[in-house]
Amino acid sequence: MPTSSDDRVRIGDAEFPKPFVNGLEFNAPVHGTWNIVHIGFRIPEAHQIYICADNCLRGVVMTAAEMGELGRFSSVVLEEDDMTHSGRIEETTVEGVTDCLNKLAKIPPVVIIFPVCVHRFMGCDIGYIYKQLEERFPDVKFIRGFMDPVMQKRGTTPDQRLRKAMSEIIPSLPVDIDTVAFAGSDMPAVNNDFKTILGINGKTVKDTAGCKSLDEYLSIGASSLFICQYPAGLMATQTITKRLERRFIYAPLSFSFETVKEELTASGLDIPGGFFENGIKICSDEVNKLKDLIKDTPVAIDYTVAPKPLSLARFLLDNGINVKTVYLDGIDGSEEEDFGYLKTNYPDLILHSTIHVSDRRPVRSSEKVLAVGQKAAWFEGTEYFVNMIEGGGFYGFEGIAEFIRQMEDAFVNAKDLRDIVPRKGLGCRSCI
Amino acid sequence: MKKTYRILPVYTGDVSGAASALYELGGMTVIHDPSGCNSTYNTHDETRWFDQESLIYISGLNDIDAITGNDDKFIKDICYAAEKMKPLFIALANSPLPYLNGTDFKGICKVLEEKTGLPCFYVNTNAMHDYSKGQSEAFLSFAKKMLKDPAKKVKNGVNIIGMTPLDFTSTDIYISDGYGIVSNWSLNTSFENVMRAPEAELNIAVSSSGIAACEYMKERFGIPYVKGLPWNGKIRDYMEVERKASQKYIVGETVISGSLAAYLKETTGEDYNVFASTEITEGLLLDCDKRCHGEEEIEEALKDAEVIIADPMVKYISPASAKFIELPHFAMSGRLYRKQIPNLMNPEEYIHGT
Repeated sequence: MPTSSDDRVRIGDAEFPKPFVNGLEFNAPVHGTWNIVHIGFRIPEAHQIYICADNCLRGVVMTAAEMGELGRFSSVVLEEDDMTHSGRIEETTVEGVTDCLNKLAKIPPVVIIFPVCVHRFMGCDIGYIYKQLEERFPDVKFIRGFMDPVMQKRGTTPDQRLRKAMSEIIPSLPVDIDTVAFAGSDMPAVNNDFKTILGINGKTVKDTAGCKSLDEYLSIGASSLFICQYPAGLMATQTITKRLERRFIYAPLSFSFETVKEELTASGLDIPGGFFENGIKICSDEVNKLKDLIKDTPVAIDYTVAPKPLSLARFLLDNGINVKTVYLDGIDGSEEEDFGYLKTNYPDLILHSTIHVSDRRPVRSSEKVLAVGQKAAWFEGTEYFVNMIEGGGFYGFEGIAEFIRQMEDAFVNAKDLRDIVPRKGLGCRSCI
Repeated sequence: MKKTYRILPVYTGDVSGAASALYELGGMTVIHDPSGCNSTYNTHDETRWFDQESLIYISGLNDIDAITGNDDKFIKDICYAAEKMKPLFIALANSPLPYLNGTDFKGICKVLEEKTGLPCFYVNTNAMHDYSKGQSEAFLSFAKKMLKDPAKKVKNGVNIIGMTPLDFTSTDIYISDGYGIVSNWSLNTSFENVMRAPEAELNIAVSSSGIAACEYMKERFGIPYVKGLPWNGKIRDYMEVERKASQKYIVGETVISGSLAAYLKETTGEDYNVFASTEITEGLLLDCDKRCHGEEEIEEALKDAEVIIADPMVKYISPASAKFIELPHFAMSGRLYRKQIPNLMNPEEYIHGT
């Protein structure tokens, strides 16, 4: 079955995992998701240095500026002469980073370096650059970032690789069997059954998304178990647990009760009797309440709100909620089963691209729409939306119930769309 | 090291400048880039994105297409978009990787014209220059490709050339002595409006990015031009106002800063020198002014300053002893001070106590 060259397709006619043909791309004015600058600042005391051309630099430096974090950010501008003289790009990178660090009042303990597409394209000797920098600044831990979007359509994305690189400075410490870490997410774990059960089991919980100091971040190396709940963090979690010889669980926010039960059980933690039954009842009551409240109001979901948007659509549709559209541009492998289920049972559900050329002129309905996610809100032009990214750190029955409560709240209380969605990095400080 | 920045943001880049200049003109601007340029542009460098549509896209270039120079996909995707969105013209902007592999944009434009029947032109950017260069290239390329000889002339008609939200917040321009505005390039404007430019008798370059298009229209249509903002309704070239060296400095875009310095000289008698921190400066500075590019040069130049007029970000690299007058500039501090950006046409409202 061919992928659609249009901006939307019935799921009954859609192809997995790429429902849409690649073409020219539109970019909606919706910026709550995190970029590599936000992610890098998750390491306390880390300094970021980008080496790139003016136009590329503008986006990242203004991200840092809007976060009020310019003090932890420096840049080196690449110009034409860096492209045309053999060896110049290495020289500019090494000398530029050196100059940036020497201009700081204090040399930071951790520095994340971001070369760019041009470094790759020119065959820049990255190993030489780090060798030079490590000799000049032996007390600095250099993290090997990359801002190379030219690579992101095939293989891993820059933010997946950054998370992996950020995990590489976490040392292998003696295992503390009573310490468990959430790793690889941007949102700290909240309304999360894993966290609740870890507490019941007397475990100390650490979270790469919520460290207050560099020492706390590095102490994650003592964790006996790692829990990853965000797809872009999976590679980092796999890598660190292999290196440290620890166990990990991958459990992104799912709206399937069976999946939640399986994943919680697989943790090996003691789960109190009646936990599952009680959780299912709370979720079922909550979704019935939602149905009573919103009745047949159309619902639109987007891929930024949770790691498994099709799991969410399936759950809501199975409970009588009128989900009309899911905004996404690709489908994660973990959603293949949900895709197949929706294709069979709800073939008229619309999958809508968020980057198609036609999206510049979104067709908006005058009727009230409940949007789940910022992009869905912008495309539908509604002020009734759940303002969340990456599942909000939620997981399990507690997470599902709270997610539905947020839908109820969003239906009743309008939000200021044009103030909220242009702000970058939901959850980060915004100075605009 | 001149290429490093400790605290100042770089100015908006040339690709964004090109997109900004063409935003309201009804065409389709395609940035040949993997990603990032479009997001940077619409997030940090464009104020109109939420309210006013414009067909600005990226090609979504990937590594294989970049390495192999696969122009076919680029052309096919543009043709599809043009058929779907019906632009009035197509503009192509370059970025670092196509720049490095020597993509033949002019050749691609020819192919696109044949395939779509639309006028198509190349804007010479590569993401390694500031917005003023990108805007300048866009205005010039548009003028060369699109403008036709006028059927009539408008007596005392003037064009405002070089105006985008990266420098300006308002197009509320008053001009006395019987002059009337024919077209604005290109804020609060339209394709039909800018196409009337050859009917005018005078061009006013209100920023350095307007100079190249003015030069072209002078040569092609015989339209003379002046440089500077028309304060108090008077059309006057800011370089005609003599100024002497002082330790009072204006840091910013060349023509706007020069105009402000001329205004201050005429209204207060004070000499201000311009530190032009954007790229286009040739023939636009008096002897007492100078070009300062990048954080290190600006910081060094400001060391003996008594008074500084500049974007608030410049305060980070200014001597504490200097009196600092904030003049937020969207192309530098972006959304951080957007609400405080004044209407440049009314200096009496924002220049206090100089």
